Amino acid sequence: MLPRADRQTVFLALINVIVLVTGALLAGANFIDSYNLQIMAAQVPELGLLALGVTLAMISGNGGIDLSGIALANLSGIVSFLVVRALVVPGDDPLLFSWTFAGVAIAVGLVGGLLNGIVIAFAGLTPLIATLGTQLLFTGVAVWLTNGSALSLGYIPPLDSFGNLPVLGVPLCFTLFVVVAALIAYVLRYTPFGVKLMLLGSNAKAAHYGGIPARRMIVITYTICGILASIAGVVIASRNLSVKWDYGSSYVLIAILIAVLGGVKPEGGYGKVLCVLLAATALQILSSLFNFLGISNFFRDLAWGVLLLALLASARVNFSIWLPSRQ
Amino acid sequence: MKSVKKLAGSALVLSTILAGPALAADEQTITTVVKVTGENWFIRMNEGVDAFNADKEAIDATQIGPAQADAAQQARIIEDLVAKGVSAIAVVPMDPSALEGVLRRAQGRGIKVIAHEGDSIVNADADIEAFDNAAFGTKINEGLAECMGGEGKWTTFVGSLGSLTHNQWVDAGAANAEAKYPGMELVAAKNESFNDANKAYEKAKEILRAYPDIKGFQGSSAIDVIGIGRAIEEAGRSDQTCVFGLGLPKDTGPYLETGAVDRIYFWDPKDAGYVMNVVSEKILNGEEITDGADLGVQGYNSVKVSQGPGKGIIIQGQAWVDVGKENYGEYPF
Repeated sequence: MLPRADRQTVFLALINVIVLVTGALLAGANFIDSYNLQIMAAQVPELGLLALGVTLAMISGNGGIDLSGIALANLSGIVSFLVVRALVVPGDDPLLFSWTFAGVAIAVGLVGGLLNGIVIAFAGLTPLIATLGTQLLFTGVAVWLTNGSALSLGYIPPLDSFGNLPVLGVPLCFTLFVVVAALIAYVLRYTPFGVKLMLLGSNAKAAHYGGIPARRMIVITYTICGILASIAGVVIASRNLSVKWDYGSSYVLIAILIAVLGGVKPEGGYGKVLCVLLAATALQILSSLFNFLGISNFFRDLAWGVLLLALLASARVNFSIWLPSRQ
Repeated sequence: MKSVKKLAGSALVLSTILAGPALAADEQTITTVVKVTGENWFIRMNEGVDAFNADKEAIDATQIGPAQADAAQQARIIEDLVAKGVSAIAVVPMDPSALEGVLRRAQGRGIKVIAHEGDSIVNADADIEAFDNAAFGTKINEGLAECMGGEGKWTTFVGSLGSLTHNQWVDAGAANAEAKYPGMELVAAKNESFNDANKAYEKAKEILRAYPDIKGFQGSSAIDVIGIGRAIEEAGRSDQTCVFGLGLPKDTGPYLETGAVDRIYFWDPKDAGYVMNVVSEKILNGEEITDGADLGVQGYNSVKVSQGPGKGIIIQGQAWVDVGKENYGEYPF
């Protein structure tokens, strides 16, 4: 009998394989050719990064959640483009433009995340309410800056390559996503910060008596969420070569869905990055498959709901009754 | 592992059910991507796509769209279609600038791209516009002038001063009235309704107070006529006023019945859906579409062709439809 956490990883990996195989059977070889695998991989990071943010917020406990992710992602892209456009002419030095763009965007994400953290830790607001408020704030600023219309970045080769070009068969933005995810997994598992965060999430009172600086931990956690959101913003900008305030407005709930599918405990104190990653890829493959088959997107939402319920059930039901015993 | 076997088994069963249509996919496939599924406008468009699919043996034409109106999800759908390798993509863009990248990649893989209501798109082979905006505005104004007997006070409504097409319509209307009907006096022009029937209603009430003898209203947003109609109905002035403008038959029906709204103008998304596929087919077959070409759909019998912002062309029809009390029921959307 595998420990619960590992069983979940295996289960999620299995779902990935099943959906992929089903896809190959239903939609033909096109579905698993390298081009489609690359397309699917390139589509994961936007949502995956936001889901990682939600994961961190949930782990921190106290009803932790980050609803402002996509709003901050869009705001980062917009602010960064407006600032960098004034400093660097993209046509002259596209590489410099791209790096400055990413840098400024992440700085905006840091500030936004910090704001979330401070409001939650020091003003004592529930994360749900606080991030709902900042979501409206970020969206409002983004609309005010752009008058509600899209800003086109123009064709900037290095950015476009980052969003779409595969290197050694893997799209660059997917590589970045995996690296970021690995980094967060490392922090959560092997650093004092990660151990303290899990403790804080599972029992805030005990953590307090154990001398864990709860407020500082919360501020740092939400700041990381903000940075993750801004990286998502850079990915979005590079894949569309345009920024807009309402891009991905449906992502808020999907990111939460991915985190919960990945077995993160909404009440705090537990979450595995690998599982969240596998949940993100499973959702992506499923959603691409439905598009391949021309199945209504409403049905996709239904399928996600079924998947979520199945996974929640799988964590509660003891399958070992039906499995042959392997002592 | 029994549950896994069960899953694999049901997947196989499902595959045999669904593989039927997939096996016959050795033909041209044209997929129409709309802004959102489940909305009356695009349900009607789907009828056009289905009709085309039924008419053409060798072409598999379908329509798909996101469950929520979100540019990100629309882009993802198109990416998946590119990976699937369809022959042509006909798209009604949610946000043209967010699609340029994915459409360029689609074209890079030899897929033809046809847009509707997206004349700013660079990476498309053709864009289809239902009509020339100035001509549409003139057409509405002509109807209004006839109803008003060519004289009296009239006013115009726009969704917002920033809505390009709305302003084109009312500007053309005003120019038409000024040139041809000296008896018509335009008052308090371009009231903004912000695409909100309640705001249009409030504005119309204000105008009825300020100009009790007003005779004509030209609306632009599809809900303008609804708000105006409600205000006029309450004021009991249905018989003394003429309300003309863009509108959707189902929503405006009750006001057409009472005479509060006199005539509405729109274009039929069914025809647009059909004609997008006709253009896709022609482009796939390498046929050139020239000025004055007949696309075989009402309103697109003699299209105007001009150069688009990219390499593609812009095709313009005269595909407006206008209905009154007697025939709005023919259009179920």
